[in-house]
Amino acid sequence: MTQPAPNHVVLDPRFAPPFPEGALNVLRNPQLRKNVAHAIDVIQSKRGKLVAEKTDWQELRTAASALRAHVLENLDTYLEEFEARCTAAGGQVHWAADARQARQIILGLLRQEGAREVIKIKTMTSGEIQLNPFLEAHGIKTYETDLAEIILQLGDEEPSHIVVPALHVNRAQVREIFARRMGLEHLSDDPQALTAAARTYLRQKFLTIPTAISGANFLVAETGAVAVVESEGNGRMCLTLPRAMITLAGIEKVLPRFDDLEVMLQLLARSATGERMNPYTSLWTGITPGDGPQRFHVVLLDNGRSAMLRRPVERQTLKCIRCAACMNACPVYRQTGGHAYGSVYPGPIGAILTPQLMHLHHAQTLPYASSLCGACYEVCPVKINIPQVLLELRSQVTNQERHQVARFLDPMYLGLRVANLLFARAWRFHLAQRLGRIGIRLFTRKDGWIHSLPGIGGKWTQTRDLRGFPRQTFHEWWAARDKEAK
Amino acid sequence: MISPAESRQQILDSIRSATESVALSGTKLADAYAALPRAYNHRGKLSSEAVLALMTERLREYGAEVVECKPEELTATIAAQLAASGKHIFAAPHGLPAAWFIPGFDWRVDYNLTIQEIEATEGVVTASSAGIADSGTIALHHSQAEGRRILSLLPDWHLCILYASQVVESLPEYFSRVPQPPRLATWISGPSATADIEMTRIKGVHGPRFLHVILVRDERKPEAVTERSSQANNL
Repeated sequence: MTQPAPNHVVLDPRFAPPFPEGALNVLRNPQLRKNVAHAIDVIQSKRGKLVAEKTDWQELRTAASALRAHVLENLDTYLEEFEARCTAAGGQVHWAADARQARQIILGLLRQEGAREVIKIKTMTSGEIQLNPFLEAHGIKTYETDLAEIILQLGDEEPSHIVVPALHVNRAQVREIFARRMGLEHLSDDPQALTAAARTYLRQKFLTIPTAISGANFLVAETGAVAVVESEGNGRMCLTLPRAMITLAGIEKVLPRFDDLEVMLQLLARSATGERMNPYTSLWTGITPGDGPQRFHVVLLDNGRSAMLRRPVERQTLKCIRCAACMNACPVYRQTGGHAYGSVYPGPIGAILTPQLMHLHHAQTLPYASSLCGACYEVCPVKINIPQVLLELRSQVTNQERHQVARFLDPMYLGLRVANLLFARAWRFHLAQRLGRIGIRLFTRKDGWIHSLPGIGGKWTQTRDLRGFPRQTFHEWWAARDKEAK
Repeated sequence: MISPAESRQQILDSIRSATESVALSGTKLADAYAALPRAYNHRGKLSSEAVLALMTERLREYGAEVVECKPEELTATIAAQLAASGKHIFAAPHGLPAAWFIPGFDWRVDYNLTIQEIEATEGVVTASSAGIADSGTIALHHSQAEGRRILSLLPDWHLCILYASQVVESLPEYFSRVPQPPRLATWISGPSATADIEMTRIKGVHGPRFLHVILVRDERKPEAVTERSSQANNL
């Protein structure tokens, strides 16, 4: 895979800039920040109302959390059960250990179908494995069919949210993209007209392209069924019109039984879009003669997931049902938008998921993209303790970095080593206090405040002032007080 | 690159080595599943009248049209709805009750209609499997009276017949009533919609833009809701 051109948003953790750098691009773009804040405000207020009316919300969260944890602890059994049921119903199940293998399997299946074009239901997992550029490079044209995904595809934009991926694009920008790419000069910027343009643009594609790719919201082990939730009907089109269907699903998506959907479906739409239920939820089991695609494949993707099952703290990450409530609630995401995270999975869930999918070889700055305020944990419908995972990953990143030769002179690690040295003995600490008090006086103004520090200290004083050191430490004051008393 | 068969084994091995200290099997696994906390509401609290009122309210919130009728008025009500639609060509599942085929309209009965033939219709009439009042959801299990999935998708106008006795208050009640998991299901909560542009809700992207529901006031027997036993459930 080639390195993307500069100035283009990079959602590949291997090439993306570190989070603080990525965030700056957005912080300097007031239009983008406005678009993001508006969308989030709308979803948050709708979600708030619907969660408040649900008297058993906490019981549902508890049930969902326990259910998802149970699945992950017994994932091999449930996956094998799903595979057996799906196969018995006429589906074919493929296993992909990593992104590369998943792409190869899908390409092979499409070639088997003789496909030159493919229609797609929104799937973040396909973004995770960079499927579209790969297929295009191999001569297969991909058509995204979710409205937001069309906007991104035609506008050569990248998704910035997992549920409303184009929330950073406003109506004027959508109009410009559609007018240019669909050849509709006189298109207005009314969302109704823009939506109608997308409907017309896609109708023929739906009716004529015989192969589709989808993601999956849930896999049901008991029956081998797959469930997809959506709003527009583009999903239903892709699930019923083509002759062949390929579903790409992370291995963690499985639920034990059909009835378990009663828990997940009550939580998902309310958390994701602030609706009691999304307009369309489709469930299908293998192939059904006379109804829908007659060739059906499921590609089960590991790509770093099984390694996350080892320890309970990290394992929680895979409970996620991709509702995006965490990013909507996150004060950091609200300011930076999604692109700063350099992955198709932004926000708090992305900050814990992406580094783990990369085996901590990339995206090491993401666990720090949080104030640890806990808002994400509070809204999570499956109770992922995201702050806990963030802290765990921070400690792993630190353990990894502090032994690196290249980090030996890194101011942070240097500072920590010095601190370690000083804090080890009381006399060293007292000496450091005394010397520090003299040194810091150089930077303390008459008002008793430090307004700017040189070097790494400047990062702190850039945005805040620091109290100068007092003349006496508490220890010294106490000792002096004792003396006086005698 | 390793072969697909090898990767299956590799993934399962990797999962097993990661979860060996917590994974269960056989009856222990079934017991652990059965012991999972499910303290959420399984039963509704509303009277049957209130459940129907809620179903109607929720459907209307989504922008769906709802009319009620007595069972003996159903044919006339369908006729009125079709006439009021201003449309003439209607698709219908082949298992639709004969009385619902109102004369005077151009019916295209789905004995393997092609996509183009369905696309050429202006509306569709179907039965349904259940209504869930809490979320205003209509469940289609695609029986012969509900039709293939494509049939209730391509036409721009969907008239759906829902019986009062099929309406439950909440999603868990619906799941407890379903005799066995359907092979196909579509849960519809209002017409096709999007909010992808500036969170402005727009009706009608690809699915039907117009959803009309006839709620038939049949006897709502306080039906012994048969809980599916876990035995029957154990495949």
